[in-house]
Amino acid sequence: MSCPTCGKAFAAAASRALPFCSDRCRLIDLKRWLGEEHGLPLAGGGEDEWA
Amino acid sequence: MNDETRRPGDADDEIPSGGGQLNPSGNSEYGSEDLQHLSDLEHVRKRPAMYIGDVTPRGLHHLIYEVVDNSIDEAMAGFASRIEVTIHTDGSVTVEDDGRGIPVEPHEDLSAEMGREISTLEGVMTVLKFGGKFKKGAYQTSGGLHGVGVTVVNFLSQWCEVQVCRDGHIYQQEYERGVPLGPVRKVGTTKKTGTRTTFKPDSTIFQTTKFDFDTIYKRLQELAFLNKGVTIRFHDERVDEADEFCYERGIIEFVEYLNRASDTLHKEVIYFAGSDQGVDYEIAMQYSADYTENLHSYVNNIATIEGGTHVSGFRSALTRTLNTYGKKENIFKDVIPTGDDFREGLTVVISVRVPEPQFGGQTKTRLGNGEIEGIISSAVSENLSRYLEENPKSAKMIVRKGVLAAEAREAARKAKDLLRKRKGAMAGGGLPGKLRDCISREMERCELYLVEGDSAGGSAEGGRLREFQAILPLRGKIINAYKSREDKVLANEEVQSMIQAIGSGIGAEQDVNKRRYNRIIIMTDADVDGSHIRTLLLCFFYRQMYQLVAGGHVYLAQPPLYRVRDKKKTYYVQSEEEMKQQLLERGLSDVVFIPEDHREIRGDELARLCRVLASMEEALVALERRGIQLKTHADRMDPETGKLPVFHVVMGREEQWFSSRKDLDAFMEKAEVSAGHELPVETHETEKQNGEPGETADQTTVHIIELHEVRTINSGLKDLKEFGFDVRSLIPIERTGIETPRYLLRRGENEIGISDLRGLLVAVRDLGQRGLQVVRFKGLGEMNAEELRETTLDPEQRTLVQVSMADAGAADEMFRVLMGDKVEPRREFIEKHALEVQNLDV
Repeated sequence: MSCPTCGKAFAAAASRALPFCSDRCRLIDLKRWLGEEHGLPLAGGGEDEWA
Repeated sequence: MNDETRRPGDADDEIPSGGGQLNPSGNSEYGSEDLQHLSDLEHVRKRPAMYIGDVTPRGLHHLIYEVVDNSIDEAMAGFASRIEVTIHTDGSVTVEDDGRGIPVEPHEDLSAEMGREISTLEGVMTVLKFGGKFKKGAYQTSGGLHGVGVTVVNFLSQWCEVQVCRDGHIYQQEYERGVPLGPVRKVGTTKKTGTRTTFKPDSTIFQTTKFDFDTIYKRLQELAFLNKGVTIRFHDERVDEADEFCYERGIIEFVEYLNRASDTLHKEVIYFAGSDQGVDYEIAMQYSADYTENLHSYVNNIATIEGGTHVSGFRSALTRTLNTYGKKENIFKDVIPTGDDFREGLTVVISVRVPEPQFGGQTKTRLGNGEIEGIISSAVSENLSRYLEENPKSAKMIVRKGVLAAEAREAARKAKDLLRKRKGAMAGGGLPGKLRDCISREMERCELYLVEGDSAGGSAEGGRLREFQAILPLRGKIINAYKSREDKVLANEEVQSMIQAIGSGIGAEQDVNKRRYNRIIIMTDADVDGSHIRTLLLCFFYRQMYQLVAGGHVYLAQPPLYRVRDKKKTYYVQSEEEMKQQLLERGLSDVVFIPEDHREIRGDELARLCRVLASMEEALVALERRGIQLKTHADRMDPETGKLPVFHVVMGREEQWFSSRKDLDAFMEKAEVSAGHELPVETHETEKQNGEPGETADQTTVHIIELHEVRTINSGLKDLKEFGFDVRSLIPIERTGIETPRYLLRRGENEIGISDLRGLLVAVRDLGQRGLQVVRFKGLGEMNAEELRETTLDPEQRTLVQVSMADAGAADEMFRVLMGDKVEPRREFIEKHALEVQNLDV
């Protein structure tokens, strides 16, 4: 598996923080959720372009 | 790096040569000096801990280090290059170097003091603090934790033997428990120089006299790292193991060795050395992907385990320098890393040589000299700043690593805050305000609907089965991400609300058994907005509530897309495809299609014709979306096979179209023959973005664009042929002056004119829609409570899709692509989604 935070490849059996490589990487990810940093990009000009 | 290996002023300093510092009177006090000497010996043997720390294995090993340190001093002064340490089977140890050899001639002052002829060698071996007492600064800086030297080693040994090779002769003296067995004597001739000391620790003094291989091995290797170029050979005869250490690059190799099992952030070890106010310093550092700091600091080869001024000077400068750089380069966003953050993953060796070190701390391994802090600090600032400027790529990696550490710290704090809130929840009333909880506390039965949008939340609240269905309305939030990009995120409150409502916790504390609901059901609109939120939620669950997904507790609701009223009857249709199908079937009853040749197509035949056209519908749209008009493309048809080209080949300014792989291969073969070599090929999904094919200068690369959808069109064209139609029937034609329509659709008295076959489908569907009231829900919010219950909430009537690990993993994968720095995949994603929406709105 590759860790969503640090990108490091690791064996799933070796981690107690799946799908992350470590608890620390999971925490960083959690902080990004809480900090509203995890976003999906809208098209350049905003929502109208979608319709 | 001469500064490093040789200390200024050392070259001519012999080991204690006798200066004028001592009062040379002497003779009258002959007896008392001798007694003093004896009492020194007694004192050391009675209170060994005062000299070597303790009589545990630690003190025992210290004996070897004291002797080795003398040889290292000789090596660092430039007189020795090789040191050999041997543990013999009887437990005695030999330390041998190829230095100058301890002087053996009579020592004037000492002889005068003692009233008999005593060689320097005997003085070194039997007079406590001989070196310090008779000659200050023999070596400008000298190792040895306690500075007690080889004298104490001799005093604490059952027996000891020293051999000096010097001036062509071998000199030797033996001792028992510190007492010489005779004077220093010549035992032969030699061409070598050096000192060889063998001793057997006194078992009446030490708790144990068994030396530990690993301990000595490690220390000798460390000394070899710290004293570049010196060869240290270690041989343990007890186990017959030997190893030799020699590091030409010194502490750089030390850092490489420490990081040998780590992923390093930058390839080259950062290294600098210099001299300031008589203090020599040498620092090597490298960052790895690890999370801990690995710092080794030394003063005059002694490991300063408790740190001290050299370490604090390094740390403050490191933080300051990296912070300055990060600010200058705009690398920090919200959090500014602290010193601790910048030390994560840092491996560093700091070695300083200080003429008069002062040690403090519990184990006397903390450097106290105040002036060192400033010396090291300014050296680090200057050298590290320069490194960062000269190596911007590594510099950014290092600073980003600190940012990541700061984020982790912040994350830990935030997670704690959350947990605190959850504890409050257990005391009552801590559930999120927006949650409309269910009545039942039977977790196995309970369901939580995560509903997109407040209005849908309202409908869901009204339509739910209150007993066991809870509703939590969620909304995406649009934020301005960096680089003027707009992102849709889950708002902080939404994330917290979910965590609190679900109750199974997050992170290390998550316990899926504590979940408050057995099913978490994601209910979003069937539009782009909805798909965004769904992706975000799936990704969140996959990452932060992994167990919940793994346990199969996450579901997707399947709200309908259409409501159809047929007279008094109301029913719902899930997807656009299904809706189109239904309208087509309804529209086909009792209609007759009359093409140009005036025959009549009806019933099954017409149904089959429409199905063929429907199968081509999407493919035709896809082709046109590439900017290729069917009319234009039809002109490229292969007259033999009647097929439209599937491959668009661009080479230099030339462009070709092929309808089969075979033709393409034949062309390639020819092109390669004429070029005389194999040609580079690039295949593309879409037509090249930037203008004319020829403009891309590159004359040899063959660009192949495969138009997948044309395969579908070709297959449809073949089917159309059976009905007597060809590609032209799909293209409107100009019919100036002709009043009658090209094609005619008749139902009863009604006749509808149609300009091409594609219009046939539209017309039939239009007929199918007559008498029906079809409403396409723009969103969940357009459904009322009753409708939502009937279609999506009521377990008797709804359809739920269980989210598999693979589904969630795919959402995560997509998310990663989008969050990444690569522009191309992002663009593809956005385009793909734009297509989906166009399809939905047809």
